[in-house]
Amino acid sequence: MIRSLVLFITLIVGYMTIHAQNKEVLYDFIEIPQALMVNPGMNTIYNWYAGVPLISGIYVQGATSGLTVNDIFAADGLDINQKVRDRALYSLSKRDEVNGIFQVDILNGGFRGQKDPANFFSFGMYVEGYALNYWPKDLAILAYEGNADRLGQRFDLNDLNASGQLINVLHFGINRQIKNNLTLGARIKLYSGIVDINSTNNSGYFETTAGQNNLLRNTLVSDMRLRTSGLEALLDANDNGGGIASLLTKRGLFGGDPGLGFDFGVTYNLNKQTVITGSLLDIGLLYHISDVTNYTLEGSASIEGVEIILPEALGDPNADFWEDLVNEIEELVPFEENSKNYVTLRPIKFYSSIRYNFGKQGEPTEVCDCENQTDSSDRSLYYLNSVGGQLYAINRPRGPQFAVTAFYQRRFAKALALKATYTVDKFTASNIGLGISVQAGPVNLYIMGDNLLAYGNIADGNYASFQLGLNIISWEVN
Amino acid sequence: MKYIPKYLFTIIFCVGILGSCAEKQDFDQLDDLEVTPTTEASILYVETPERIINQVSGINFYSQTFNFDAFSEEFFADNVLDGVVTYEVENTTSKPLDITFEFLDDTGNSLDSENFTVNAAPTAILQREIAYGPAGRSLDIIRNTSAIRVSAINLGDNTSVSALPNPTVFLRSSAKFRIQLK
Repeated sequence: MIRSLVLFITLIVGYMTIHAQNKEVLYDFIEIPQALMVNPGMNTIYNWYAGVPLISGIYVQGATSGLTVNDIFAADGLDINQKVRDRALYSLSKRDEVNGIFQVDILNGGFRGQKDPANFFSFGMYVEGYALNYWPKDLAILAYEGNADRLGQRFDLNDLNASGQLINVLHFGINRQIKNNLTLGARIKLYSGIVDINSTNNSGYFETTAGQNNLLRNTLVSDMRLRTSGLEALLDANDNGGGIASLLTKRGLFGGDPGLGFDFGVTYNLNKQTVITGSLLDIGLLYHISDVTNYTLEGSASIEGVEIILPEALGDPNADFWEDLVNEIEELVPFEENSKNYVTLRPIKFYSSIRYNFGKQGEPTEVCDCENQTDSSDRSLYYLNSVGGQLYAINRPRGPQFAVTAFYQRRFAKALALKATYTVDKFTASNIGLGISVQAGPVNLYIMGDNLLAYGNIADGNYASFQLGLNIISWEVN
Repeated sequence: MKYIPKYLFTIIFCVGILGSCAEKQDFDQLDDLEVTPTTEASILYVETPERIINQVSGINFYSQTFNFDAFSEEFFADNVLDGVVTYEVENTTSKPLDITFEFLDDTGNSLDSENFTVNAAPTAILQREIAYGPAGRSLDIIRNTSAIRVSAINLGDNTSVSALPNPTVFLRSSAKFRIQLK
């Protein structure tokens, strides 16, 4: 089953890339502790919080650019072959992508420092999985149409760019209010790679030209690789009829591929009503050292079929020219396997925002010894409304991707906070997202959805994400 | 009254999330998807200088059987739909020639043959396309081919030399076949 799944993912993901991963609704939603994960320098307004294990943060997201499920599978009576040809094969570019990601918090918690309340510490562990693939345009045309009657057309092997990863992340962060108007934060992440599959940075081409001797010449120039770690063990466990759960657990709890990463964040209050923020996430890498199996196809060869040139060919009357040709190709462009360790970089993400608060609803009521207490000068909670803009960027194999967001946030005391966003990115220009944070006593529940206009026919949407979580929060200042 | 926006917003959100739906999708269409690329490549090239022809006594100056497993490879044989084999014969020698291509099965039986009679140079390049499949000869010929035999008969003498530079007989061939991947 797993082999089928891998094949399915490879095929579907034969047209994907992941990591849109923009959490624009969550970003700077300071009522929700998980917002610290997208800006460790966020103003923290809790004494402590504890996420309910496994459900403190659940995030799923899928995105496609250039094509939707509905484009191909709508029950519209059209011939699917024509739809594939018109809407995918010749419409999508090598920059189009499909992506999907999930993230589940196993543990998530935070507490304010006892000795120095200006410090807020957070920690936790989450599992993240993604699959990614850009549309392999040339290879898709080659597979769908073939090379016939395409003399001189080069099929670019670089079009194959796919990857998928399943990792477990243990993290610890510190957030410190440096001054009344400045908060900085940093987080260290220890990655444990469970499964990794990637085929990126391929190069070369396949081309058919008029032959020098024979009618046609097929040329392959290839520098391709598929790197995997953890996959063989997973497939073996599946074939042996069990042990998958223990394998995943073992590799997820630092029995897999080690990695290290950092997040940084900042919040700066320009004045009582205006706040700017920024963060850099996942500056890190994984070193794949366990259960590594790599496949390479490197070399170049040009063939014009079996060639017999007399009188040289008469030298060996028993020669098997076909076998010689096959052997020559395999020698020139060997398909090889190795177990060399390799490194993958995490996709670095960047967030920034500017927020203007208005509609004052009251002053803080806490009575405290302010010499010893943090005085969050982020007065956002004391305003009914916030409006602002956000910029998001992520480093992708084919260049950075950007998203711009405008948002409006409305608060109803501490009981309820709502945030609406409008985002423009490569997937859609009509992405409206909504988020709700409900506080019932110490219990905090949040739900967020993205690209809600597409929910009317989600199969026709280019982007969708959903997020929810449940926390226990203490808002009391010591 | 002041809570109306709050509730309204919440209701809209919940309806939006929970009321999400999708137009009817027909994933059974995948069964109708046909992936049938047409691939082409050269098959066999034989080059024989006139001096070799002159050196061989008798009229049958060349006959050789080549192992050729490309067509009988399981994947190809199981999925080939139709196609064309193209032959080209170029003769710049001073001799008229009779050349035969034969497709043989794994026991050496001739499955199909194509014969070319070419005049002595100067003469035009002969080109011929043979279709296989529903609109041509049986695809079983292709599926069962595991060798190609080329035979050449000199219909002229063993002494004459063409006035053209590097007089040679060239036999070229290529195949273009449609394959059903799905």
